[in-house]
Amino acid sequence: MSVATERVSAPVVIHHVPWWRSRAGLVAGIFALIFIGFLVARSNFPWPAALTWTSLAGNLDDFQAWLIDQRGAANPNPLFAVFDGFRIFADKLVTWLNDLLVWMTWVGTAVAGTLIVLRWGGWRAGLIILSAFASFALMGLWEESIQTLALMLAAVGLSLLVGMPLGILAGRSTRFQRAITPVLDAMQIVPPFAYLMPVVILFSVGPAAAVISTMIYAVPVAIRITALGIRGVTPNTVEAAQALGATRLQTLFKVQLPLARRMLLLSVNQTILFALSMVVIAGLIGGRGLGDVVTNGLYSYPARALLGGFAIVIMAIALDRATSAIAERTDPTRRHVTDELRRRLRLLTAGTAVGVLGAVVLAKVFGAGGVYPDQFETSTTVYQANVDGWVLKKIQGALDYVQDPSSFVFGITEPIGNFLVQYGLEPLRTFFVETPWFVTLVGVVAIAYVLSGLRPAITAFLMLSAIGVLGVWEPAMDTASQVLVATVIAVAFGVALGVWAAESSAVSKSLRPVNDVLQTLPQLVYIIPFIYLMPVSRVPGVVAGVLYAVPVVIRLVERGVRDVAPNTVEAATAFGATRLQVLTKVKVPLARDAIMLGINQGIIMVLAVVVIGGLVGSGALGDEVARGLQRNEFGQGVVASLAILALGIALDRVTQGERRTRPGGGGLRSLIRIRQRQRRAA
Amino acid sequence: MRNHVRLGAAVAIAFAFAAAGCGSEKESSGTTEAAGTAKKECGTVTLNEQAWAGSTANTYIAKYVLENNLGCNVQITKITEIPVFQAMADGKVDAVLEDWQHVDQYEQYIDNGTKVVQGGPLGVEGHIGWYIPKYLMDQHPEFKSWEGLKGKETIFKTAESGSQGMFLGGDPSYVQKDKELIKALGLNFKFVTAGAEPAQVARWSQLYKQKKPVIFYWYTPQYLNQEYDLAEVMLPKRFDGCTDDAKAGGDVNQYKCAYDVTIINKIFSKKFADSGSPAYDMLKKFKLTNDDQELVAKWIAGDKMDPDAAGKKWADENKSKVDSWLS
Repeated sequence: MSVATERVSAPVVIHHVPWWRSRAGLVAGIFALIFIGFLVARSNFPWPAALTWTSLAGNLDDFQAWLIDQRGAANPNPLFAVFDGFRIFADKLVTWLNDLLVWMTWVGTAVAGTLIVLRWGGWRAGLIILSAFASFALMGLWEESIQTLALMLAAVGLSLLVGMPLGILAGRSTRFQRAITPVLDAMQIVPPFAYLMPVVILFSVGPAAAVISTMIYAVPVAIRITALGIRGVTPNTVEAAQALGATRLQTLFKVQLPLARRMLLLSVNQTILFALSMVVIAGLIGGRGLGDVVTNGLYSYPARALLGGFAIVIMAIALDRATSAIAERTDPTRRHVTDELRRRLRLLTAGTAVGVLGAVVLAKVFGAGGVYPDQFETSTTVYQANVDGWVLKKIQGALDYVQDPSSFVFGITEPIGNFLVQYGLEPLRTFFVETPWFVTLVGVVAIAYVLSGLRPAITAFLMLSAIGVLGVWEPAMDTASQVLVATVIAVAFGVALGVWAAESSAVSKSLRPVNDVLQTLPQLVYIIPFIYLMPVSRVPGVVAGVLYAVPVVIRLVERGVRDVAPNTVEAATAFGATRLQVLTKVKVPLARDAIMLGINQGIIMVLAVVVIGGLVGSGALGDEVARGLQRNEFGQGVVASLAILALGIALDRVTQGERRTRPGGGGLRSLIRIRQRQRRAA
Repeated sequence: MRNHVRLGAAVAIAFAFAAAGCGSEKESSGTTEAAGTAKKECGTVTLNEQAWAGSTANTYIAKYVLENNLGCNVQITKITEIPVFQAMADGKVDAVLEDWQHVDQYEQYIDNGTKVVQGGPLGVEGHIGWYIPKYLMDQHPEFKSWEGLKGKETIFKTAESGSQGMFLGGDPSYVQKDKELIKALGLNFKFVTAGAEPAQVARWSQLYKQKKPVIFYWYTPQYLNQEYDLAEVMLPKRFDGCTDDAKAGGDVNQYKCAYDVTIINKIFSKKFADSGSPAYDMLKKFKLTNDDQELVAKWIAGDKMDPDAAGKKWADENKSKVDSWLS
């Protein structure tokens, strides 16, 4: 809780320096110098071949071939038995869960889910779960949703089983935390496309491979939030426990874990959301369920892909609301449990159990199917049981409008797209790619030094050099130019909307569901309309980046502005400042750190969708990663992924600002803090 | 105390489910056994469907015939092109009916490995080339050959191609060499990639609807060829400077510009090939023409027909072909 209430520190005294010595002035100066370098020697200095490690991609390809050979050998290395063991276990677990949900029949499953959430999460959460089940049924996606649900239950369960103990360890040992942080960063930034093939070689296709790739993405979240929770327990509480003679284990189980309860539950919640964002990727390697609906629909039936995407969003929002409600309502510090209440609750629990069993038994007796049927038959007539035909027609209608180049909307969006390419993306790409490499390198490092300090500057230098050595300087600069454009747009919209949301709770409330949808809808899905509306390559990719980054920027900025100490605002008002003056002269300047964090996070989020950009015409690094899986250029895919990772770290360090103490350490952690504050505020 | 009771209840519920789950497992294994004895000869066959509509078409035709004529239980997986080879090696997928010459995988899994085998040609022949809309060909008959494009590239100018004409490249995951061709033939085109196939289709179909000029990478069989009237620009067979697919190099006569015809192969897992299942014999003989596949793909992707229904419809209308696979 101490972590959750931590405020963005506000500077007390604002120093006045002449503009040319201010940071903005210095950065502008460095930019001017880089630009001069570009004008003087453009295109003359691509990254030198002598400084490139050319054999890496080939070596990686050889490694993959070796791995496949080993795997297929008559007497495989006993090490593979370990992977096989896990594979069989995970396959069985997912299949068993799926069979169970089908065995319970659709009625039983829906009633069980609803009642359990109703008992521990309250009627509102129960209602949300019930409507989620209802929408899966009505969309005709019951079977796929159940498959995805089974996969998620297994993946989330295993992620927590691995993540929580490691998180506790990381929370108790700074050394361990330092050691694993870079690994966790890599697990989250390296695009899944890069590691799908190795996962398939080791775990074959099917549920196990899907579970593993989901875990790679979700486990870091579980570890980080758990560690944060353990660290959030105030040191004097721990000291007091130790002073009273508690052993280390006692301190952990009786003090630290109970006090970190909220954070532990938050880690469950966030692990679910991160796992759900891998559904589409998991579909590529036999994860079945809604992921398949999205990927296959994209080629032959985009309306169905959109429908599948909405089902994923509904599942994400329902699980998010249900777990937060359960966390909230079962919090022992938040309610007083009397004997009377205790007895009632016990009865309710028993009632829930009876209700669930009763529903299953009744459904079985009346012969309800394992999955929700397409039609209900009575002796005389057949009723259509779902409305997916109707919904698909509506979605297709919208898509047809979007695809129509003579439509009104297209008349607006196409020129915008063209403008972005001609005056934003093209010139910037030329500038980034053609500036001599050493000018860019020195310039970026100098900016990092001015904005963030010495250590970040050194890191930025190392990362940029790594990109060059990997032999992908040009595509990386191309990607960087697109990231820059997307970030500028995202920050412009995000800051404006964030400030507005901080000022008006109505705006804040109406933005929240939009943000939720944007963060959970698979990017491949919401990008579909933009492929048609802005038919210029690289623009849909930029749009995807903007849409993914904007919610984060909004949330950070809103929180930052809201967190400005109320007495400061009161003081300003007392001096007769108007509302506008308070906003522009007090709140926004004091929220500068939060806004800087918003920019920083915006960049990272944009980078996270670079691969999606590659699938819709952005080219550059994203394209190489996507091709790595699809055209068997494994080595090149890994190289490009490493470059994305390096670019991400470099840009993070350049823009991190002087966050001298970085309690969380990385971008993600600050993000989680913000999300949590958001949740508390809501 | 409260916690204990709650825990107890949770455990009780969990046990009830576990018992139920075990029951269901037994039940289901019982039914498969029963099915196994009744249809001993075929059992379960797992086919892999790829993302594009043509693959859906041939997979569902095969599915219908296997189920209807041989009483097989057909499972469909949807694993992406490269990982599916590992899936076949592991025996998780029995057959891929439409493989576009993944030569590296053939070497890795079929030539060097022992767990995947070639299943012979599907009969469908892939052809890749440069295409323009028919209306444009009517206006500019000289575009029939690549030489007609020379000097007229700027007709294809768009916002992002600057002073050059735009050449719209294919899905980055497909076989292609257009950048090299443009360079070798000395054409003033800027190569623009639109990304994955749905995005590329969105780009050219929009220009098509506006009756604007567009030149792009395209191929047959493709159901959209039934919807849009397209014409092909002939590329030279050989030309100094074109790089060969196999990177042969050397003699100018060895260089190839035009794309080779791609023989589409069926690929089977060794386990399935050795199983003696009648499904294997049927799939081995399974053959379709480009027209068959395009037609069914159009029913599915164009007319939104249910794939199972489309497979049945085609099989019912083409009894003689189906019989030839079963004999």
